[in-house]
Order: sequence, then structure tokens, then C-alpha cells
Amino acid sequence: MILLMTGASGAFGRGMVRALANCAEIEKIYAMGRRNAFDFSSSKIEFARADITEEITIPDEIRCNLSAILHAAAETRFSAPLGAARRVNVDGLANIVALASRCPKLDRFGCLSTIYVAGKRTGQISENELEHTAGFVNAYEQSKFEAEQFLHRDAADLPVTIYRLSSIFGDSRTGAIVKAGAIHQALRFFYHSFVPMIPGTAKSLVDLISSDYAIAAVSRLFCDKFEPGRTFHVCAANDAMPLGELLNAARGCFLRNRPEWRKRAIEMPALVELGTFELFVRSVEEIGSPVLQQSVDATKYFAPQLAYPKTFDDSECASTLAGSGLERPLLQDFFPRVVKHLINEKWPVALDIISRCERI
Amino acid sequence: MNIGLEAIEYVLPESRRNLEELEAAGALETSAHRLREFGFEYAFTSKEGAFDLASKATAALFKNHDIEPEKIDALFYAGAIASSHSVNESREFLSAFNYPACRLQYDFGLLNAIVAGISQTGCMGMMTAVKCAADFLAASNAENALCVSADVFPHDAKREVIYNLISDGGCALLVRKNATRNFLRAHRHITKGYYWDCVARRNEIIAAYFPTAYNIIRETLAKTRTELDELAWIIPHNVSRRSWEILLGLLGISLDRLFAENISSIGHIIAADNFINLKDAADRGKINRGDKLLLFNFGFGANWGCMLLEH
Repeated sequence: MILLMTGASGAFGRGMVRALANCAEIEKIYAMGRRNAFDFSSSKIEFARADITEEITIPDEIRCNLSAILHAAAETRFSAPLGAARRVNVDGLANIVALASRCPKLDRFGCLSTIYVAGKRTGQISENELEHTAGFVNAYEQSKFEAEQFLHRDAADLPVTIYRLSSIFGDSRTGAIVKAGAIHQALRFFYHSFVPMIPGTAKSLVDLISSDYAIAAVSRLFCDKFEPGRTFHVCAANDAMPLGELLNAARGCFLRNRPEWRKRAIEMPALVELGTFELFVRSVEEIGSPVLQQSVDATKYFAPQLAYPKTFDDSECASTLAGSGLERPLLQDFFPRVVKHLINEKWPVALDIISRCERI
Repeated sequence: MNIGLEAIEYVLPESRRNLEELEAAGALETSAHRLREFGFEYAFTSKEGAFDLASKATAALFKNHDIEPEKIDALFYAGAIASSHSVNESREFLSAFNYPACRLQYDFGLLNAIVAGISQTGCMGMMTAVKCAADFLAASNAENALCVSADVFPHDAKREVIYNLISDGGCALLVRKNATRNFLRAHRHITKGYYWDCVARRNEIIAAYFPTAYNIIRETLAKTRTELDELAWIIPHNVSRRSWEILLGLLGISLDRLFAENISSIGHIIAADNFINLKDAADRGKINRGDKLLLFNFGFGANWGCMLLEH
């Protein structure tokens, strides 16, 4: 298998490329990314700098021999404006699809997506569902939804399979994070007394997965179990943690790993209806405090998902991976490890304002 | 024992200024437009000192409620800012010991009253004084305790604290062991010293305000197994109406149960809002006998306080 993978210079993509390089079936990986070349320490991997928002041109000798494309490049910032998100996630995908349609030996096209294409839907979300009119919490969700629509509509003749990932929290074994995301920022703000409220209830489920599981699952589904036309939820599914339990677990980690944190007597965030949360966000925006603004920004683009309770069904993914020996690490088990890592590494999460806060 | 708030009086300064006047005078940090959106309209500013306002409120209490001065067993004097705890400050160092509580005791002939000052709980001062008075009455043979509070901001100070419009004012109230109204059913006070530096921790205080308020209100009600829907009125401290919308949203209480009339017309009288509002709500016929009233307050320090009364 000769593979072209986009998004290879991203935090998740780098791990993905390394995992794919270990697949015996893969002879060569052309890893494309926006950033500078990385040393992947594998003769299988050849890195090329490329921007998927522009037309993708690759040498004919590579194009004609490509048998697989894994599209991982994406605008994943929840705060990105819709235009910017579409530019990468829809228009960029179209450029890759155009390339794919010119690859005569292509027999598999994998596209990473998100379980949150479900947007504001509630209830059980199946892997074979996409269309809905419930709306979206942020532009990232909407653009990935539109990207999936594009694949169904304009890439029907390609052997496409979609991998919808949950939010990646960290490595289940070491606790290391691949990239500081909104959830990590929100935890840091909670640690520093800046999260007064979260929309949702104690029972609202928070679906997080470990980076090692996400990489291994996509790798196996793509290399060993590929079937065109499938959609897989790579998520915590029934192991998602209730919000109340997750916040208690976070607080427990703070106390265990920084006993002096207790002195701050920081309250658990109140769990509120979405309207109250939005009123608070609006008030912070109106008073114009940069510090508070940053704290609400850390939650306002994703936390409203919790006000739309849903569970993600992953039975297609689970049955396909059954017998592969891959076990999904339990969120309850690795969540404390990741939080401990965040604390011990002094919150490797880029938030300027927190630097002013007392460090403990 | 039915300890309750038997009588309340308050005084406001003569000078009332609207938001535009305050903005023009450079007394605001936030625009008048924004503060109006947050529910404010007027602030009262005093040319008199805090003691004068305290004295006038006390005089009104004695006059209007036929209280015998010598039957007062204790006087708890609350002031949020340091200048409220000294009368006629001069360059003479010893004048810092010129306590307003002692002068009130003398001026009003409270011969049997012991006195104490309540400070360092910010806008929680009067609520703290009431709790001290109630505990004093419960623990002794005493029958009546007077609580007095007054604060006047310095002339050059802004009239806004963390997006709240501040008024000067004074309040006096009588806590009685065998009261006929406003029985104190539950009280809770939380202090979080982490927020002691109100300048450096300003934003954290705003963030901490809501979840702590939410919890203390629920904990106070739990003491008497009172449900939120049993409350007839929320008697607020006059911070922004917007913040009350958020807090009541957290609690799931309808905004129409908030006695909010004074937020725009008076503003936030530092330590006495709850009790001024309680008096006005009663005088305006809003409260019926037996109504359960929730008083919530916050003061720098940081302190959160909550009181459940039965009218």
C-alpha cells in the first residue's frame, strides 16, 4: 500500500503517521503537512509541505502509484469562524478528493471527522446517520458536517470511509497530551477559579478518548479492516463520563496532586441551563474584561454541547475491531493520569492570563 | 425563642445623581449605557460622614418604633470601609480610637448596651452584625440588640465597584429575642481568604461569586429543609440586576420573585442593601405574614452570606 496522508504535521497526525508506518501492508507514506518537515525516523515516510486549501499537485509517478489516502488535515479550532473552518474542512477536502479522483490505483480513501457532526442533536447517535437540522454548537462541527455531506454527494465514486473521532484527551498510559484543546483549557481555568458555570446537568455525558486508542483504532480500521462506504465512531460511547463525575474526578486530581490547592476553596462549577450560561457569557463580553473573556472563550465554543445530551453508538466500530486485540482504555481510568500530567507539567496549555495567577 | 428583625430604618443622602451625571463627573469605570443595561440608574452621594448617617438612621429607629434606649443590651456597628469606624478623624493618632459605636451609645443613652464593631466583611457587614446580635441574644438573657451600619465613599472615589453602582447610606435595625416578625430561621456565612486581595483577584472573585452563591443559598435552605419554591421573595443586595438574573437562573428561580425595585433607584448601599430592601418590600405591602424571605449578600474578603427569614 502506498499512502498519502494529509495533516501529518499536526499533533495527532504525527502520531498517526508513526503508527501507520508500523503497518506491514504499507510500503510508503507520503506525509503532507502545513508545517516544516518532521523527522519521522522511518525510511517509509517522506514528508512534503503542502497546504490543502490550495490545489494539490504531486509528481505523476507518485500519483499514479497511490493506493490509499488518509485525510487528517483539518481546522480543529472550535472558535474558528465558519468561513475559515469551511475553507480548510470543506474546500480543502474538495482539493484532496480532486487529487484522489486522479489516482488510478486508489482503493481506499479515509477521512477523519468528528462525532460532533451530530451538532445539537440529542439522544442516541448512530454511525450511519448524518443528516439533521438540529444546528451546531460551533463552526468546526458545521464544517465537518458539510465535509461529510460533500463526500456523500461529490465523492460517491471513491472508496471512502469516514472515521468520526471523539475529543482526544491524552495518552492512556502516560497521561501526555498530544495537543492542548478546549477541554484542557477549561480544566486549567477550573483549577484557577475561572469556571463559574457549565451548561448541562450532572448526568450530561462527556465523551473523551485516549490518543493511543484513537491512533490504534483508526490505523487498524484503515489498514486491516478497510471497507468503503462505512462510517465509524471512534469514541468512548458507553464509557463516556457523566459531567458531575468528571468534575469530581478533576477536583480529586487537583487535591491529590496539589494538596495546597484545597486552601483556595474553589467551588465546583455550577451546572446550569444553556440560557443562563449564555447570559453569563454575554455579560462577560459586555464588560470587556480580557481575563474573563478568555475564560469564557475556553468553554463557550464546546461546553454548550453538554446541554444537548447524547450518547454515541460505536457498535460498527466495536464489531469491526472485535478480535483485533485492541481494547479501548476506560476514560475513568486514564482521566486522572492526564489531569496529573497537566498539573505536573504546569499546564502546557497556552493561556496568557493565567501566568498572572498564583502558581501552585 | 423567636429572634427576629423587629424594626428597620434607613437614611439616604440628599444628593442623588443619575448615571450620566456620574459619568460626566468621572465617577464611573464602565459606561453609563452599560450600567443602565445592568439595571442601575441612580446613586446617592453624601456630603456628611458615615457617622452622621448612622446617627440619623438610629434616631429614626428610636423615634418611629418607640424603643427605650436603656432596654438595648448590645450595639453592633458595621462598616465596610475603614473610615466608617472612626469619628472625626484628625492628625492626632489617638483619634483612630474615636469609635462611632461608642459615640452612638452615648448620644442615644444606651446605658446598658455593650458595643462592638463589625468590619472586614465588606458589604456583608450588616448581615454579619445581625447574626452576631442574634447569637448574642440566643446565648444570654439579653432581649434587644441594635445593629447600625453606615458607609460613605471618599469624595474622590469612583462610584462603581466591579460593575456595580455604589450609594452612601445608613441603616439601623433592632434584633429582638421575642420578635413579632422577620424571624431568623437559618443563616450561613462563608469566608474564602484566597480572594483577600480584591484588586489582584478581581476577575477570580467575579467567577467565584456565582457558584459559591449558588451553594450557600442551597445550603442555607437545607438547614430548615426549605425548598426554593417555598420562598416568597428574594431580598437582594443591590448588585447588578444582570448578576441576579444569572444567579437566579442558576437556582432556577423566577426573576419575578426578586425584590429588585431599589437596584435602579438606589443602587448598592454598601452594607445595608438587604435590610433596606426588606423594609421597603414590607412597607410597600409586598410581604405577607409567614412569607419566607431569602436574603443573600456578598462582601469583599471574600465573604458570602445568606439568611432565611420568616416574616
